[in-house]
Amino acid sequence: MRLKLWGVRGSIPVPGPGCDAYGGNTSCVQVTAGDGTELILDAGTGIRQLGPELVSRCANLHILLTHLHLDHIQGLMFFAPFFNPATEITVWGPPAAGQKLRSRLARYISTPLSPIEIRELPAKVTFRDAPAEPWRIGGVEVRAGLVAHRGPTLGYCLTEDGQNLCYLPDHEPGLGQDLGRDPAAWISGHALACDSSLLIHDFQYGDEDYPGHLGWGHSCLSDALAFAHRSEAQRVLMFHHDPTHEDGRLDELGREASARWTDLGGEPGSIEPAREGDEIEVGESAR
Amino acid sequence: MAESRREAVAAAAGDQPLELILARNLVTIISLAAFLFDAEGRLVFYNDAAAEFIGRQFEEVGVLTREQVQAELGPLDRRGRDLPADQVPSTIALEERRPAYSRFYIHADRGLMQIEAGALPLIGPSGLHGAMVVFWAPEE
Repeated sequence: MRLKLWGVRGSIPVPGPGCDAYGGNTSCVQVTAGDGTELILDAGTGIRQLGPELVSRCANLHILLTHLHLDHIQGLMFFAPFFNPATEITVWGPPAAGQKLRSRLARYISTPLSPIEIRELPAKVTFRDAPAEPWRIGGVEVRAGLVAHRGPTLGYCLTEDGQNLCYLPDHEPGLGQDLGRDPAAWISGHALACDSSLLIHDFQYGDEDYPGHLGWGHSCLSDALAFAHRSEAQRVLMFHHDPTHEDGRLDELGREASARWTDLGGEPGSIEPAREGDEIEVGESAR
Repeated sequence: MAESRREAVAAAAGDQPLELILARNLVTIISLAAFLFDAEGRLVFYNDAAAEFIGRQFEEVGVLTREQVQAELGPLDRRGRDLPADQVPSTIALEERRPAYSRFYIHADRGLMQIEAGALPLIGPSGLHGAMVVFWAPEE
C-alpha cells in the first residue's frame, strides 16, 4: 500500500505562511493498493486537490469516513469525481442510531449549506455503513471499529500483503484510562492498532494544551505516545495537527515525540509529524 | 506482521467493544457500586465501590462466568436461594434489552446482604454488548 497525505490538519483548515511546511488542509489520506484499488481515508479539505488526479483515470473509488465532523467531510462537495457520471463511488461511514449515512451527510450537502443536493451528484454514489466484520475492497482487507471520540467515530485498519495501516485521526483513548497500565483489551482502538506497520494517530495537543480540552475527543502527546507504544506500532505519523500549531510548534512537538518514543524503545526516526504532500510506502522505514 | 501473529495478539487481548470500554471508564470514577457484564453474561469488571461490598478487588477475582457469578455472589432471595432469572436485572437487561430494577440479596463481605440494583443494557450500532448494573444498600 502506498499513501499520499492530502490533509493532515485537525478541526479547521489553516492556509497561510505559518503552516507552509506541514500544510493546512484537513484530514484526507489517499491509499493506493498494490492491485491499483484506490481508497480515500476521510474527505477533509485535502480531498479537493486529490480529485483532479483521480477523475480521469479512476472509475471506481472508495471513501472511508471516520466520522461526520466537518473537518472530515468538508471537501466532499469539491471532489471532482463526484461530478463525473462515469465514476462509481462508495462512501463508507460510521453506523449510528436513527438516520442512515446518506441522510446524515445530506444535512451538509443540501441547502442552505450547499448549492447542490446530495441526490444531484452526477456520479453513481452509494452510501454504506461500515460493517462490524472485516470486508474486502479489492486486495485490501478493511476492518473498522468504533473508537473513543465525540459521537459515532470509526478507526480503520487496512491490511495488504501482511502490512497493516491503522488510521485513528480523532481518538482520545486516554480519557478515564491509564494507558500505561490498563489491560490492552480495555483500551479504545487497540484491536485496530495492535502491531501496526504504520499507525496514523491523533496527536492534536501538546501536554500543556490538554487540560483545557479534556473530553474533546483528541489526544495529547503523552497519551498518543503511550497508545502507540501499547500498540507496538512500528512506525507512527503524528496527525490531526491543532490549527493553532504553526510549523515551528510542530517541529518542537516532533522533536519531543521522537526523543520520548526512543526512550520507550521505539526505533529512532520512526515517529514524525505528518506533512501534507508526503508519500509513504506502508512497511517502509522512515526517512 | 504475519496475519497469524496479529490474530494471536488480538485473541490474547480479547479486545472489548467501545461501549464496554467507555462504561468501564465511567464506573471506575463513580462512587456508586457497579458491575459490568458482557453480552454473554460474564462479569467482566466491577469498581472499587462494588469491591467494598464484596470484600475483594476485581483484580483478585477476575472475569466470572454467569455460573460463577451465581455461585459466588448471587443474586439470592432472603433465604439464600437462587433468584429466578426473570427477577435478575442483569439478565433482563441482556435478554430483554431493556432497563430493569430489583431488590435482592448477594453474598457480601459480611454475609448475606440485601441490595437494590438497576441494570442498563449497553446497545450500540452493532448490537448488544453487555449491561451495566449499579447497586446500593437500601435504606432501612
